[in-house]
Amino acid sequence: MKPVIEVNHLSCTYHDGTRALCEVSFQVAEGECVGLLGPNGSGKSTLLLHLNGLLPEQPTSDGAVRIHGQPVTDTNLLEVRRQVGLLFQDPDDQLFCATVAEDVAFGPVQLGLRGAALEERIDHCLARVGLTGFGHRATHHLSHGEKRRACLAGVLACEPSVLVLDEPTSDLDPRGRREFKALLREIPATKLIATHDLEMVVELCSRVIILDQGRVVAQGPTADLLGDEPLMLAHGLERPHILQHRHPHVLRPGPTA
Amino acid sequence: MIVNWLAHDHRRGDSPIHRLPAWSKLGVGLVLITGSVAVPPLWHGWFIGVGLVLGLVTVLSQLPLLFLLKRLLLLSPFVFGVALVNAFQPGAVMEWRFLVLRSFLCLLTVVLVSNTTPFSHVLRVLRAVRMPTLLITTLALMHRYLFVLVEEAGRMQRARASRSFVPNRSARWQTLATVASQLFVRASERAERIYDAMCARGWK
Repeated sequence: MKPVIEVNHLSCTYHDGTRALCEVSFQVAEGECVGLLGPNGSGKSTLLLHLNGLLPEQPTSDGAVRIHGQPVTDTNLLEVRRQVGLLFQDPDDQLFCATVAEDVAFGPVQLGLRGAALEERIDHCLARVGLTGFGHRATHHLSHGEKRRACLAGVLACEPSVLVLDEPTSDLDPRGRREFKALLREIPATKLIATHDLEMVVELCSRVIILDQGRVVAQGPTADLLGDEPLMLAHGLERPHILQHRHPHVLRPGPTA
Repeated sequence: MIVNWLAHDHRRGDSPIHRLPAWSKLGVGLVLITGSVAVPPLWHGWFIGVGLVLGLVTVLSQLPLLFLLKRLLLLSPFVFGVALVNAFQPGAVMEWRFLVLRSFLCLLTVVLVSNTTPFSHVLRVLRAVRMPTLLITTLALMHRYLFVLVEEAGRMQRARASRSFVPNRSARWQTLATVASQLFVRASERAERIYDAMCARGWK
């Protein structure tokens, strides 16, 4: 299948000399849902920022990151950001407008949408994440789960073809996690999910990439990698509980659940 | 907790004053404030009139009096500071009284307008009168993150309190300084992340 995300020998070093990514290479095909795993500080968030063109500060034209075959450069940065929707780890970073409706409208307004079409887009996206009637609510008065869903509505409002999610279920209660997973399952876009929620990975992702100390240490089918206990333990992870109570042949998630 | 004093959005009332359009409240508020600052002290009628209008608005707005007093108290140190300096000027007894009166009327107007008008509506009016976009964005972000910062400061304060076992005044100041500096660093880092989030959705 056609690769939507291509990362080739991507390296990144922060100003303080910290090596965040080292020769990272992988591909994500159209419609695929891929889990990005790794211990804290392994470079997952840094990698996601590269996919949206937020890093490096001065995008190069070396083609280390390609979206839909196009290298991320200064000239196509806005198009890349329209194509790649990025959900940040902390909802308070992402919800920067006073009300939910204003925040959902932020991206579409940047894309030139106005009037009735804009209102329709806001209502549609809020309904899609189950927040109908929340438009007038102040963003700082939402619960954590509501904030997450409002963030997702804001990302979906730009109609991206790729969704990149940074720990989307962290800090959610079990019901919030369940509802958020159901939401993600319904979105047909290509998805790359950085997470520690291994049960979500088992349920949603057909393939996983394991990152440790800025390097890709393994990539392959979810059941194979997550079922490999020595590999998981060696990289600060563990075999998910859900795998220990299922027959291995039953667990073969579809390409995109 | 100071955040409760700031959180006027919780008071989404349904009084006749709340229902008035934001532009009318801001317009009248501006006239009252400008007038109260500009008219000579001898125009007693103006001050009495403004006082009556604000009294009527207070009643109609159904805002709790204690809440309004707390808000005024929060804003009044600046006024009292200036009035205090004026009070010690030779022959300025009447002047400082009028200064307090003018300031009180202005503050009450601001408190009433801000607590009966959602901030997003205020921004909409500012946008309509073509205030520079950069200024509106700055105001919107300031309002949005004021609450996040105050909550963050509260969490740090609680964390400090939970491990402060011996009352020690100098150590307390030292910790307070650390908390303040940490808050500054965290705010700065958050600002960078917010900017990234804005860029991620097409901010130019």
